[in-house]
Amino acid sequence: MMENILSNIIFLPLLMAIVLGIFRAPLKILKAGAMFSAIVTLLLVALLIYNFEPNGGMQFTKILPWIQNYGISYYVGVDYLSLVILILISLLMPPLYIYMYHERRKGYWYNMMLLQTGVTGAVLSLDLVLFYLFWETMLLPIFVMIGKYGNGMHQYNSMKIVLMTILGSMSMLFSILYLGYIYFDATGVWSFALNDLTTLMLNAKTSIWLTAGFLLAFAIKIPLVGFHTWMAPAYGSAPTPAVVIMSAIMAKLGIYGIWRFGYGLFENTLSYYAPTVITLALVGLLYYAIRAITEDNLRKMFAYSSGSHLSLIALGIFLTNVYAWSGSLYFIATHAIASAGMFIMIGLTYKRFKTVKISNLGGIAQKAPKFTFFFAFFALSIAGLPGTGGFVAELLIIVGAFKANFWIGVLTATTMLSAMLYIFWMLQRTLFGSSNNSCEYPDLSVRELIMLVPLLVLLLATGIAPSLFMPIFEPGLNTSLQEVLSSIGDLK
Amino acid sequence: MIEQLILAMPMAIVVIGAFVLMLLSSSKRFNLDRLNLVAVFFLLISFIMQYMTLGDHSSRFLFENIFGDSFILDDFATIFDMMFTAGAILTLLINNDYFKSRNYFNGEYFALILFSVFGMMMLSHAHELVTAFIALEIASLSVYTLVGYHKDNKVSSEAMMKYMVLGSMTGAFFMLGTALIYGAVGSTSLSEIAIYISGTELADMTLLIVGSSLIMVTIMFKIGAVPFHSWIVDVYHGAPYPITMFMASTFKIAIFAISLRLYLVNFESINHFWTEILQAITILTLLGGSWLAISQKLVKRMLAGSSIVHSGYLLIAISSIGLGSEVAAPAIMFYLIAYFLSSVGAFGILSFIASQSQKQMRYEDFKGFATRRPYMAIMMSIFMLSLAGFPSTIGFLGKFYIFTSAIESGQILLAGLGILTAFISVYYYFKLIAMMYFYESDTPQKKCPFDVSTTLIVMMALLIIWGGIGTSLIPFVPGADGFIDIAKQAISSLR
Repeated sequence: MMENILSNIIFLPLLMAIVLGIFRAPLKILKAGAMFSAIVTLLLVALLIYNFEPNGGMQFTKILPWIQNYGISYYVGVDYLSLVILILISLLMPPLYIYMYHERRKGYWYNMMLLQTGVTGAVLSLDLVLFYLFWETMLLPIFVMIGKYGNGMHQYNSMKIVLMTILGSMSMLFSILYLGYIYFDATGVWSFALNDLTTLMLNAKTSIWLTAGFLLAFAIKIPLVGFHTWMAPAYGSAPTPAVVIMSAIMAKLGIYGIWRFGYGLFENTLSYYAPTVITLALVGLLYYAIRAITEDNLRKMFAYSSGSHLSLIALGIFLTNVYAWSGSLYFIATHAIASAGMFIMIGLTYKRFKTVKISNLGGIAQKAPKFTFFFAFFALSIAGLPGTGGFVAELLIIVGAFKANFWIGVLTATTMLSAMLYIFWMLQRTLFGSSNNSCEYPDLSVRELIMLVPLLVLLLATGIAPSLFMPIFEPGLNTSLQEVLSSIGDLK
Repeated sequence: MIEQLILAMPMAIVVIGAFVLMLLSSSKRFNLDRLNLVAVFFLLISFIMQYMTLGDHSSRFLFENIFGDSFILDDFATIFDMMFTAGAILTLLINNDYFKSRNYFNGEYFALILFSVFGMMMLSHAHELVTAFIALEIASLSVYTLVGYHKDNKVSSEAMMKYMVLGSMTGAFFMLGTALIYGAVGSTSLSEIAIYISGTELADMTLLIVGSSLIMVTIMFKIGAVPFHSWIVDVYHGAPYPITMFMASTFKIAIFAISLRLYLVNFESINHFWTEILQAITILTLLGGSWLAISQKLVKRMLAGSSIVHSGYLLIAISSIGLGSEVAAPAIMFYLIAYFLSSVGAFGILSFIASQSQKQMRYEDFKGFATRRPYMAIMMSIFMLSLAGFPSTIGFLGKFYIFTSAIESGQILLAGLGILTAFISVYYYFKLIAMMYFYESDTPQKKCPFDVSTTLIVMMALLIIWGGIGTSLIPFVPGADGFIDIAKQAISSLR
């Protein structure tokens, strides 16, 4: 059971989708099946956490031969880093399915199941070719969901996100192939497994080019400023479940990629790129915040806000000290939950008022108190309200930044201020003020409460009692930080 | 003698079938359906016999006391023969509706297809330059006629003239090259040429090198490499859909059969001489093909343009062989199998749609296709993804092997360019997927017919997925590894 648990977690949604598709399941059974697969996956993940050994490094590994001629295998495993994102994706799927309860278009449900398999597979795979397979596959459901079910210029925007992301993936593919070849050149056998490739000694020049290949893919996915032109249009056009996954999970996968493959394969070369990335991240922090202040469309505004916070996380992992790293890891989790909640709230706003433009909203607080409470709570937790997890995480990163360099610290600290600025101003204009919209404002229904309350509880728990969660991840994080630091130290 | 006859049977059956079809076609009792079945019957027998002889690793000459060493029998040729017959069978079965929907098809059509398959099989077995030329001309002449089959249609006739005039002219290059090589070696047999090459200094071989470069011109023309590409889009466009499918998926592979044999075995010791020329042609082919494919409005023309790009990928691997890559030759075989499966599927769907309407198929005509025919749309998406080299399809592994071989042989920039054009190809293949899925359709969903052609298309799609992700864990079913093993077996039988 425990031996194959990761494969079960990865492929259960896909198998469910295939079975339902072959038997052309009617809508009711399709919904039940999707929900069933999400809940079973969640239970399996809970079982995994229960059996997870914090000091155990890479666990539950499974290797099966796939393309033996090239040493490519089906190789999965989980450690502290992939566990965080795995927990997030399995936690977010059930609320999203509840959100989609009234969705009648079948393709929507199939795409969500495929998406879950793609994202989970990318997080758990330890073979570079396998990783590339999942990394590309998870793009397809997003492509279809934006293009088919989106709004605005959705066809154009979905083509744009696909082309930009694939440009990054192709550069990564080149680096992967080259790494495999270097391994073949050195040892005489092909291998694309991560732990084989980490043993390679690369010369500096090659390493710089290969790192660039990987970084481009991850920078587009995050997106760092300059690689971000797909972001706002895609977030603006995408249907709510797709936005939630994109902002809460897929953007984090860019960070995950740097963490796992960047620090796994090129820990020495990353310091060569660190000044560039840190500058881009600092520019991003401010630039995205300013765009968020001026933006009138709620979805786009939180797209920019998400970009700003992801720049902060990217900054955190490039400052190799323990505060910044644990802050980044913590922020991955809390920002995912908060932004998922926020984008769900924006989706609910759209369902009620048929608009997400701030200038068309107003006066919600008088008529829908529960709605207002949740809306304000998720917005404030994105801004880093003390008592929510985001506050702890941001504080840790800022402390880490001050430890690295005073001025970086000062610039990083502005993110909290600017976030407060755009969040409070947005809240004032959407929730309060006079209502210029005369239609009915139904408050949150029980179904909607069921999906929102767990997210709220999690955010409060991560904020008030970080010590509940950190022991699971802290040992692994410390070990890998020590490894990175010692190997950078060796170089000097 | 009897044993030799049995070995010759697969080829003989195809040519006998062609004659039988010619005789039957004048009979009133045989309509298109029946003739189609007869043709498929002969091809199928030939296919099965080839399958039986596969795995016989020794290479030998056919009727050595009569033909000398003109015909060689090895796994390499057999695997190519299987692809040709399979391609012809699929062309005939998938397009059965198309034949009936157009009134210009008659019995001779099937005979011509079989003749061209015979020519291709002869080409893959040819071990002597004049034989190769005759085989090439048998295949080409049949295809010229097939391209102009709709003789009342101006576009079709124009395509035929264009193809025939240019094709015959480049055929003359082949002849001239053979003559020059004969002048140098005193024989046109490939084994004699190989002996001559191994015993002579490079500086003394000018005549042979000029001759073989001229042969290369013909080969480049037939695969549509860029300075010789101007015919390809118009001819693919003008030909009826089944013929386009046959040319793109089957005829092109036949050209690679002969060029691989020449390049890998007989000119092996001097093939580094062509590396720079090949690299230049490759760069032009990749960029030019991408440009042609992007700028098209008709889906058929886009596929024609993109087939040039696929030739470019194969050329990357061919120049990698010259630079000493071990994995390049199996990579080419694998890519040919992958391209064969994907293009048969894509053109199959196009002609399936064309059999029900008379329209030219522009991108816009695919709007809402997913709501009208959901299953066909899924299949088409799979073929497009495979052609674009999206992971989890066989097309990705094909590109993976090709680019790995390029990197292994040190052609890093060429591999980079290949990956860049693969990225460009995502645009024009995904555009079709976008058209199918992103627009609503006014017409309601049509019932999906369950017949031979749709079943075959579904099988192609499943093969593509299985070839991309299939594991070797399930007993008796070859996975993704199985295809590369076949490719390796073919290449190892050459030497």
